[in-house]
Amino acid sequence: MTSTDLSAMALPARRFGWLTRLWKSRPSLVIGLSLAWLALVVAMALFAEFLAPYGYADQSLLKRLQPPAALGGLPEYLLGTDNLGRDVLSRVIYAMRTSILIALMGTLIGACVGTVLGIVAAHFRGWVDDFIMMLVDFQAAIPFLIVALAVLAFFGNNFVLLVVLIGLFGWDGYARIARGLVLSTNGQGYAFAIRTLGVHPAKVYIRHVLPNMMGVIMVQVTLNFPEIILLETSLSFLGLGVQPPGTSLGLLLGEGRNYLATAWWIGIPAGVVIFLTTLAISLVGDWLRDRLDPNLKGKPA
Amino acid sequence: MNPGFILSKLARGGLTLLLTVSFVFIVLRASGDPAQIMLSDEASPAAIATFRERWGLDRSYLEQYLTYLTAVLQGDFGTSFRDGRPALDVVMERVPVTLLLGFTALLITLVLGIPSGIIAALFRGSWVDRLTMSFTILGHSIPNFFLGIILILVFSMTLRWLPSSGTGSFWHLLMPALTLGTVAAATIARFTRSSMLDVLHQPFMRTAKAKGIAHDKRILRHALPNAAIPVVTVLGMRIGGLIGGAVTIETVFAWPGLGMLLVNSVNQRDLAVVQAVVLLIAFTMVVVNLMVDLAYGWLDPRIEVHNRRVAKA
Repeated sequence: MTSTDLSAMALPARRFGWLTRLWKSRPSLVIGLSLAWLALVVAMALFAEFLAPYGYADQSLLKRLQPPAALGGLPEYLLGTDNLGRDVLSRVIYAMRTSILIALMGTLIGACVGTVLGIVAAHFRGWVDDFIMMLVDFQAAIPFLIVALAVLAFFGNNFVLLVVLIGLFGWDGYARIARGLVLSTNGQGYAFAIRTLGVHPAKVYIRHVLPNMMGVIMVQVTLNFPEIILLETSLSFLGLGVQPPGTSLGLLLGEGRNYLATAWWIGIPAGVVIFLTTLAISLVGDWLRDRLDPNLKGKPA
Repeated sequence: MNPGFILSKLARGGLTLLLTVSFVFIVLRASGDPAQIMLSDEASPAAIATFRERWGLDRSYLEQYLTYLTAVLQGDFGTSFRDGRPALDVVMERVPVTLLLGFTALLITLVLGIPSGIIAALFRGSWVDRLTMSFTILGHSIPNFFLGIILILVFSMTLRWLPSSGTGSFWHLLMPALTLGTVAAATIARFTRSSMLDVLHQPFMRTAKAKGIAHDKRILRHALPNAAIPVVTVLGMRIGGLIGGAVTIETVFAWPGLGMLLVNSVNQRDLAVVQAVVLLIAFTMVVVNLMVDLAYGWLDPRIEVHNRRVAKA
């Protein structure tokens, strides 16, 4: 390595050209699997009633703590049953619905609030800009999980508050991006030209600036979405997010934690689903980023 | 270093703290009658009257705010209703336990993350690089509490090598610190790699090569110091991640630190303790960010006062 030219290392090794080509075809397989998994998750969330073999609260106390079917359990309970005799598979499917729904609403809130504030900051500049950017720095400085816990402690837990709180996580990223994009767009000829024609600034932003931003915002969504899922599942895991009798992937894992020694299958499937989902979104996000914006290629997330 | 730079950073840190205190004040007042909330339901009317008197609840909001600010500045965060002691005392006795976990995790992050990022960048495209990158993507996606549970399942329940919870020995520390540290190491490795790659393609690296400087010296003297600058920033931001992560990890491993105290206090609505923990964490974050800024200015003399608006990690 000491005398090797670094730039030469980036060239494909010719002797093993087929290996290189094989390697290059691999990411698409991974992306395909990720997309397939995400499609499955969305289908589960949308059609939980039809896909889940049982209701998520159906108990059969005589069949408690059954191991998964493949490990010698009853064939009608594919992933086994929990301490109240509820079907683990059905609970995971319904939990996917709750977790995905909260994450989607949270992302929507964060993206809208952040983008609007970013545009407002860039439009007015001056003290408005300073104030919004101060809030952005503040949000980035304090771990959001702590803020969320504090608010839940003071106001008590309810579903709407939880969704709003989760929505406020990550708005700073959107604000930063929107602000930067508006600032650079305002310096460009076409925005100036439209404005000189006497078009209202709001119309300029909605008709011209926002559509140009969508690509970058989508990339930010793929970065933000896994973190939002992790926030919701963390809160629910700690018993401070979604409350029973509702289900969430984090809540299932938290409930299963008490049965690790005797019935690990209560919690582990939910954990695997969280992991695979955030992994798939991250991988698809990386891939999207490379396609949508070649300038960002190789840049840190 | 320019004193104006340090002063402006100090001012910004102070402002963040003031914002946090104001935020807690607003949340506290917006959530209802603080006397009802801060004291337990069984509090005597006399106790409630004393509380109202002390925090000036019958006076204007501005006066209440100033009373609150003064109290917080004096380290008075109210009384934990669970054991009647000052909230600050309850919080401070948990700090050493959390620091032990936090610093061990930070050490693991640095030892694991930085070298693997550098090696991955130097051997870009090799199996080492691909292995590191796969590790960083996995580490970025796995929820830390799930990783902790998997470790407990494997090393405590199945192999019976390590204790699953509590504190007291090095073996108790191992799993929580590893869980926290590896997840953070994934991010650091990724940033170190991309920062290193950026630097390696800079014209000054080519110049150094053209001047005939040996490879090892080019890496050590020219590439590493320049690549360190963004990594330090991200590291400062990861401290926030470590603190957030400690909340869940301490609960998973029953590690009796600040995080577990916070979760328990939120569950029991011991709000004096909650606000003390939140303000303490905010203070820590402000100090850490200040240190990062100063280290940043020291590492890179080109930095001007307003230039540090780096994307969030």
